[in-house]
Amino acid sequence: MRIAVTGANGDYGKLLLPRLEADPAVESILVLDTKEPEGTRKVEFHRVDLTRYDAESELTDALTERPVDALFHLAFLFGPILNGPLAHELEVIGTMNVLTAVGRAKLPRLVVPSLTAAYGARGNNPALLRENSPLFGCPNSRFVNDKVEVEGQVRAFRERHPDTRTLVLRFAPLLGRSLDNPATRLLTQAVVPTLLGFDPLWQAVHEDDAGRALHLALRADVAGEFNIVGRGVLPLSGLIRQAGAQPLPLPGPLFRGALRALGVMGAGTLPVALLDYMHYSWVADGERAESALGFVPLHHVKDAAAALRRSQS
Amino acid sequence: MTKGVLGNDPFQRGAAPRAGDAREDKADAKDSKKASASKGTKDGAGKGAKSAGKVRGAKGSTKSAQGPKPPKAGKGRSTEAKPAATASRTPAAAVHKFEARGNARGPASQEHEAKAPHATREAQGGKRGHPGPDGVEESAPTARHPAEHARGAKDVSGAQTGKHDHAPSRAQAHAPPGDEPAPLREPATPRPPSDAGPTRPREFAEEVRAMRPEERRVDRAMTEALASDAAEAAAKTAVDELLPGQQGQDRNIERVLATELVAELAESAVRQVLDKGHGTASDDRDLATLVATQVAEATAGVAVDEVLDRHAAAPKERALSTAEDGDAHDLDEDANEEVWTADAWQRDPDSVPVNVPEAAQGEDTQEDEDDVWTADAWQRDPDSIAPDGDDLPEGVERGEQDGVHISVSVIAGAAPTNVEPEVELPDESHDELPPSRRIPLSLVTEEGAPRRDDPEQDASAFARPEEAAPAAGFAGRAAGMFSLAREIAGQALASEGLGRAVGAMHGLMEAVRTGLGTGGGSRLDDYGKDAGLVENLQPVLDFLYEQYWRVSVEGVDQVPHGAAILVANHSGALPYDGLVMSQVLQRERPDLLEARWLVEDQVFHAPMLGTLFNRLGAVRASPENALRLLDERRPLVVFPEGYQGASKPFAERYRLKRFGRGGFVKLALRTGAPIVPVAIVGAEETSPLLGRIPGGFLGFPSLPLTAPGPLPAKWTIRFGEPLIMDGLPPESADDLGEVQRLTERTREAIQAMLQALLRERRSVFSG
Repeated sequence: MRIAVTGANGDYGKLLLPRLEADPAVESILVLDTKEPEGTRKVEFHRVDLTRYDAESELTDALTERPVDALFHLAFLFGPILNGPLAHELEVIGTMNVLTAVGRAKLPRLVVPSLTAAYGARGNNPALLRENSPLFGCPNSRFVNDKVEVEGQVRAFRERHPDTRTLVLRFAPLLGRSLDNPATRLLTQAVVPTLLGFDPLWQAVHEDDAGRALHLALRADVAGEFNIVGRGVLPLSGLIRQAGAQPLPLPGPLFRGALRALGVMGAGTLPVALLDYMHYSWVADGERAESALGFVPLHHVKDAAAALRRSQS
Repeated sequence: MTKGVLGNDPFQRGAAPRAGDAREDKADAKDSKKASASKGTKDGAGKGAKSAGKVRGAKGSTKSAQGPKPPKAGKGRSTEAKPAATASRTPAAAVHKFEARGNARGPASQEHEAKAPHATREAQGGKRGHPGPDGVEESAPTARHPAEHARGAKDVSGAQTGKHDHAPSRAQAHAPPGDEPAPLREPATPRPPSDAGPTRPREFAEEVRAMRPEERRVDRAMTEALASDAAEAAAKTAVDELLPGQQGQDRNIERVLATELVAELAESAVRQVLDKGHGTASDDRDLATLVATQVAEATAGVAVDEVLDRHAAAPKERALSTAEDGDAHDLDEDANEEVWTADAWQRDPDSVPVNVPEAAQGEDTQEDEDDVWTADAWQRDPDSIAPDGDDLPEGVERGEQDGVHISVSVIAGAAPTNVEPEVELPDESHDELPPSRRIPLSLVTEEGAPRRDDPEQDASAFARPEEAAPAAGFAGRAAGMFSLAREIAGQALASEGLGRAVGAMHGLMEAVRTGLGTGGGSRLDDYGKDAGLVENLQPVLDFLYEQYWRVSVEGVDQVPHGAAILVANHSGALPYDGLVMSQVLQRERPDLLEARWLVEDQVFHAPMLGTLFNRLGAVRASPENALRLLDERRPLVVFPEGYQGASKPFAERYRLKRFGRGGFVKLALRTGAPIVPVAIVGAEETSPLLGRIPGGFLGFPSLPLTAPGPLPAKWTIRFGEPLIMDGLPPESADDLGEVQRLTERTREAIQAMLQALLRERRSVFSG
């Protein structure tokens, strides 16, 4: 089996590559990235910059030269995004390029990660969000809205290319010692401001579980969207405690102002949009991933958060 | 050898953490001539366990040889102790059982015990050349064992050199009662702090730290209260059993007096035990109760005798009850008399451990458990003794229990023979009577079967000089008054009411923190209900339900199994009704799945209130949530009036508003779940809506102006006949006419029930 991976150096790539390396059925891994990942044996590196105008033809060439059995499109940003337009370029335009190339190369399988945050944290969310719930995104967050846009492209692609088995894995916030995303940045602070009077339910995925889910997507006989969540839910305050921090409830307006001020000063590592997720619950239902994809989370949210704490100390 | 093997494994396991101690121990061992470092020696021995074991074996033989003083004792040893392997095992096993019951920390204690014997043996053996079992037992020469002490008085045993042999001797040795207590305690008391102090805290530092002083105080009070209760109960039983044989006008008085005496004794024992305890409350409690009962039972005989003496009751009575006692007295002097049962409470030097060596009678074996005990029983061999020495370490491990050990030693062949019962009771004020009551013993055993010690203790003979009786006069009374006062205070502290109040406060605090959004919580389900919070709040909910609102429920049997939609009127400015409904179903219909109630968005998303309600089980009202809940076959409580219903002015109370758009009927039609109309009366008066404050800034359309807290109106909840959706296909959910009709039917049913209830109600607050 020959696998292509974009964004192999990102968080998802770091979780997936070792598993592919260890998978005896995988003969070689075609890495389409700007930088070759380290410490790999099966990797064929092909330099592609998804943000360049000619990325699509390069991708098509690379994918048609030697056919691959699946493409993992993992080129998404999770670190602090200092250059919003670049991120947009990479995620939205990059995905467009990838989808076009996949369509041309007629790949049998495409796996794209997404976020449960794309459902949006809204007051009238149902208690558990199923995969068919609409994606409302987050009005203030380019980070989340880019993912929503990507999902829209992928859905359209899936309808046009039924021969390509397309899986979208919507991950709850990934927690793990090696990861850097808004959730881990939030939880690794000593004191985490929260909204006074609100304590929404959060989910999280342990990094091991996330890697496993990605790996499972390589062989699953299903297509569509899947919520990848850890076991159980925790209120935000409980999650913060588990991660070894202290929640500090602040009245909403004060908090919002503080976040904005920090963002303007460039010191803010937390997006203002996080406020929405501290206000309302956004609990996704992982039942479909369990029944269809065969993904059973091994780690409780508590464990994921606790792993974060251990990694800090 | 076997001993060594036995001891080694556990020991090594346990050894690692205590490297420091071990060192000390070694040092102690060297110094051990004084034998003061009993614990240390044990640990040290642990390291050298194997070698020690060997040495022991050798020593054991030497001991047996040496043990000449009390020939019988020597025999006893040889028979029991010499097969050291078996002996050592058995005691250890016994100890384990004991601990397992008393404490959950069985294994650790085992290790210690196993170690202890070795260590002590080594230390003592090396120095003294005596492998003396006693020495082992008493790793501290201070003479924990009354037997030894007793001997000490008579025999050379008093000299430390002699002690080793005492193990066997102990059994036989009749301790001169007077002598025993003094030597035991005095040496003991100073010791424990020094030795035990450092080691214990280290081991249990976590647990100990976990308890704050106030908590400890409360715990202790509770423990004492518990213990005194247990003691009283035990005392009553024991005394009753002892007394019936005697008849006379004074009998009642005697009984009361005897019971009091016994209870006092037991309480003082408990207090001493507790003084040493650092451990967790629960352990303490178990331990205290155990000690109390045992002491009570053990002392019952003495007390009865004493009372009888005091009354100068006819000698015949006494003769009846204590015929054997008299013999025992005689025997005491002889030291090698037959007291078929001997229970000796030995107070360790530390006073921490209460060792009750019991001489097993042939009869002790009545029950299986008892048998085990006896089998395990500490043989007075050095080996068996060793475990006693271990008590301290065990205590350490247990934390609070501080090595209160009740060890039961069975002397093989003791049945007819010389077992000296030595009872060292905390209170010396009590007379020591030679006790041997078989009948009471057997009775007690049967009743007290669960306790390992019970039978034997009951049987235990107290060899006490009767001279002590006078002392009991004034001092005893004073002590009695004191303990009574303590008991009252303790019970007040530990009373159920206070406990509940504390629990309730805890729950409320947690609820507040949850509302503020800092509660955490780890036992949430997908809907956000926090089982832990509900548990903590249960005292509050119980109070509201049972005493404040006096909720009365009618027709709850009509709620069908599986999915059901309970439609109720919403009322009051604050939505207590959903919570009460869930409580009703939880209490009255435990056979149903846990019910959830739907609340309108305005409440659900209100800061604090919404969060709190969510954690208590409220679910936001939405078709998806309702469908999911019904799919789980839960009863689902809905309030179709919605926010309107909760914001009715007081003047419109119990007049149903429009029932939304009939969402619940559509749900019922789609899922086939029956609709159960429910009328709730009382909620309106609980939080009457007096006015409104604009509350937009908090996310509410308006803030209700209501009573500062819930008012104590009486609640009545009536469940009506379920409307079953038979014959209506799921598609009819789209038939607005049908939906409207069903909605109206439900509404009328509820309104009718409300009217009926209101008519029946004579008073808002008393029902």
